Amino acid sequence: MSKSSESKSAVSRRSALKTLGLGAGAAAALPLWARYSSAETAAPIRIGFQKHATGIGAAYGRWYDRTSQAAVRLINEAGGINGRMVELVTEDDGTDPKRGAEVIEKFATQSNCDVAFGTLFSHVVVGSAPRAGELKLPYFVVSEGHHVASGMLNRYTVQPGITDVKSQVQAMAPFVSQNLGKKVTMIFPDYAFGHDHRDFFTAAIEAQGGEVVGLIPIPPTETSFTKYFPKIPRETEVIYHVMVGPGVLTFVKELGEFFGPSRPEIFGFIDSLEAVDLASPGLEFLEGTYFWEGNPRYAQPDQTEYDKHFRAAIGIDENGASINDSKDVSTYAHMFGCWETLYVIKAGMEAAGYAGPQDRAKLIEAVEAITTMPHSNEHPQGAKVFNGKTHQVFGPQYISKVVDGKLMVVHTASIEDGMYPDEVDYTTQAL
Amino acid sequence: MFHRFALVVALICAATRALAHAGEQGFVLLLPTQLYIIGGGLSVLATVLLISVLPQRMAVSLFRPTTIKRWRLARAKSGVSCIGFAVMVGLVFIGLTGPHDPNHNALPLAVWAMFWFGFVTLQGLMGDLWRWINPWTGPWLAIRRLGVRPIARLPRWLGYWPASLSFLAFAAVLLAHPSPSDPDALAAMVACYWVFHFIGMVVFGPAWLRRAEGLGVLLRCYASLSVAGQSAGRLRLGVPGWKIVTGPRPDTSLAVFIVILLAVGSFDGLNETFWWMARIGINPLEFPGRSAVVAQNLAGLGLAVPMLVAAYAMAIWLGVRLIGQGARFAAAFCALAPAILPIAFGYHFGHYMPGFLVQIQYVAGVIADAFGMGPVHVTTGFFNTYATVRAIWLLQAGSVVVGHILAIILSHVLALSLFGTHRKAAISQLPLAIFMVGYTVFGLWLLASPRGV
Repeated sequence: MSKSSESKSAVSRRSALKTLGLGAGAAAALPLWARYSSAETAAPIRIGFQKHATGIGAAYGRWYDRTSQAAVRLINEAGGINGRMVELVTEDDGTDPKRGAEVIEKFATQSNCDVAFGTLFSHVVVGSAPRAGELKLPYFVVSEGHHVASGMLNRYTVQPGITDVKSQVQAMAPFVSQNLGKKVTMIFPDYAFGHDHRDFFTAAIEAQGGEVVGLIPIPPTETSFTKYFPKIPRETEVIYHVMVGPGVLTFVKELGEFFGPSRPEIFGFIDSLEAVDLASPGLEFLEGTYFWEGNPRYAQPDQTEYDKHFRAAIGIDENGASINDSKDVSTYAHMFGCWETLYVIKAGMEAAGYAGPQDRAKLIEAVEAITTMPHSNEHPQGAKVFNGKTHQVFGPQYISKVVDGKLMVVHTASIEDGMYPDEVDYTTQAL
Repeated sequence: MFHRFALVVALICAATRALAHAGEQGFVLLLPTQLYIIGGGLSVLATVLLISVLPQRMAVSLFRPTTIKRWRLARAKSGVSCIGFAVMVGLVFIGLTGPHDPNHNALPLAVWAMFWFGFVTLQGLMGDLWRWINPWTGPWLAIRRLGVRPIARLPRWLGYWPASLSFLAFAAVLLAHPSPSDPDALAAMVACYWVFHFIGMVVFGPAWLRRAEGLGVLLRCYASLSVAGQSAGRLRLGVPGWKIVTGPRPDTSLAVFIVILLAVGSFDGLNETFWWMARIGINPLEFPGRSAVVAQNLAGLGLAVPMLVAAYAMAIWLGVRLIGQGARFAAAFCALAPAILPIAFGYHFGHYMPGFLVQIQYVAGVIADAFGMGPVHVTTGFFNTYATVRAIWLLQAGSVVVGHILAIILSHVLALSLFGTHRKAAISQLPLAIFMVGYTVFGLWLLASPRGV
């Protein structure tokens, strides 16, 4: 506990130093505004929560909501932000880019939100961010897409609570090449998501002295996979798979039937099985295979106090399921991003002396000034390094092995493993 | 004969047991779905064979209701309808002023979970409850007491065609509106729907509600499937469909309305499948949202309705030609259309039931919230275990198969009363029976198909 409050204040102090002078100057020059802002302090800070309540993201939306509500409750119990309570203003974006942009507009123009927050699905982020930029509404996304750090968005869009796919994939390569094998065959869905994995991992494994010996793209509407498996080259030492959608269970079952007891090493991304019970029939074949996890779903023997705190606040058991229903499996690998992002918003607002929408630009600057986030109750997934220029956070990645139907962490990739050269400097863009 | 019937029952059981496979997404594809679909189709086919050898008297007596007691159904009181109206107004108000999350706002939950699944199902099981609680009758009687009288007659030739248009407008929202659960948008749509039909009622009187308000006509159609009902001043119970057998024959416009019900229900399932997504060039794994498929869904609806009406008409036309009574096509088209209702109702139940299992928990949450009780944990864990998923899918598939079996029997009995002899009825039913067996397979395939939304 004490460690966490120390770390939080360390971040806040650093950011506060940078913005303190700016805030004081503004207050002196604008006494009327200052009066306005002090009258405003009783009103809650309104965080527009762009929720995937309906559409293909609904399972994520449900858990992003629970996580965010828990974090906001704790923030309020601890006194809120700058002495003001925090209120989540939820709008359903239907997991739909067009509606996402409408929701952003609603936050800015109708519901008086101070910032927007929460989005997961990349296409919704990409559809919404331009409107947030035009409206100068700080937009905190939790999507793990590379679109923020790639430079395709804008200065008002920030991803400070979850790492991006490029970083995740890159961080896996050293472990895969050193422990599982150097000759990799990739099986991936044949569209942008799979292509990102293909491109990022191919580059990363080559940098480690390994090689991709086979690329097997699967059409997104495919529901039977056996016919693709003979294309796996004989020399393959590791299969890297990132299948998603309803076909995943069939994919795993058919892969198991194809290989029988003698199989190459298998490495996948838990995105395939997020919110799916690993004890489901047909998944036995996964025993002994490896997964990337954003945050370990199963409480580990060396579980931190921060992870305990995080699980308890949301109501999650040691298997990553709801304490109300052990079969209601959470989206544990991703939803910590909402929690951590809300604490970044808090730290940023405190550092900026945020008083109202007129301080939105200062909030962006304060967040850009953040550099490190220590492992703490506020950042239970692990310590982070934030890159203010690319608006992207970097953190540890976990590789877990399925042992007795549970994911046990066998390797923690360091923050540095996931870092790559900057592709943009948003701070050069006007606020 | 009993043995034959037992065989059919056994076949249904075998089919449903064979149909026992995972209902939700990932589980859907794990089991040999094709086998189960064939099982369902064979059950319906067995019913076709059975009914064709069943003595005429037995078939007819199946739908003969049992009289329970003298019972005159009270006339719908305006007070109950006024309460219905007040509830609707309250829900619209909540829609406009309440939470924007559709899972925490009472209006979308009331419309899509409680009404569209819950009440429609209740109506099909219990009979015409809508005549009591519809939100128009009460306010209309109130203004009637003030001396307001209809100013025009709804032309008889219009039949139920306005109801078809009204229902298609609803279907367009259901299928193609970008955000049908958005509380603001839904509040406006509910209010507009009520005002439009209230104006119609003021101008044309209650005939408007009977023949032009699409949802009311749908609900009355489904009410004709209920076990209990009143006829000749007595409460009677019978096999679902007895009210159709003993009731009046629909006219062409109502017959078409019934076929539209099935077309809309079927397309509502089809438009979610990977198959449909591939047709319209959408990647189901990164579904771009409803706003990206508005035109495609409207076009699909526009195609599905005439295609199904044509397919049904073709089956009827072939049937009457087979027995050399081509001139009775129109009569057969109208008389046999109600036999489609059990299919549409069974599919409606099967299609929406899994979603309802989640939505009803949100309803409980809203109620708990209103009374200051603790939060309700909404779980989808039952989509995550084999046993519960199996039970859910069984129920879905069972409702589809039973709906078709009932439709086959009902259709045969309706044909008997139309064509007089057992032989003619059986032969005339052949094309329609093939249509229904095909539709069983199609309905089960829809439930078993991977979905992208």
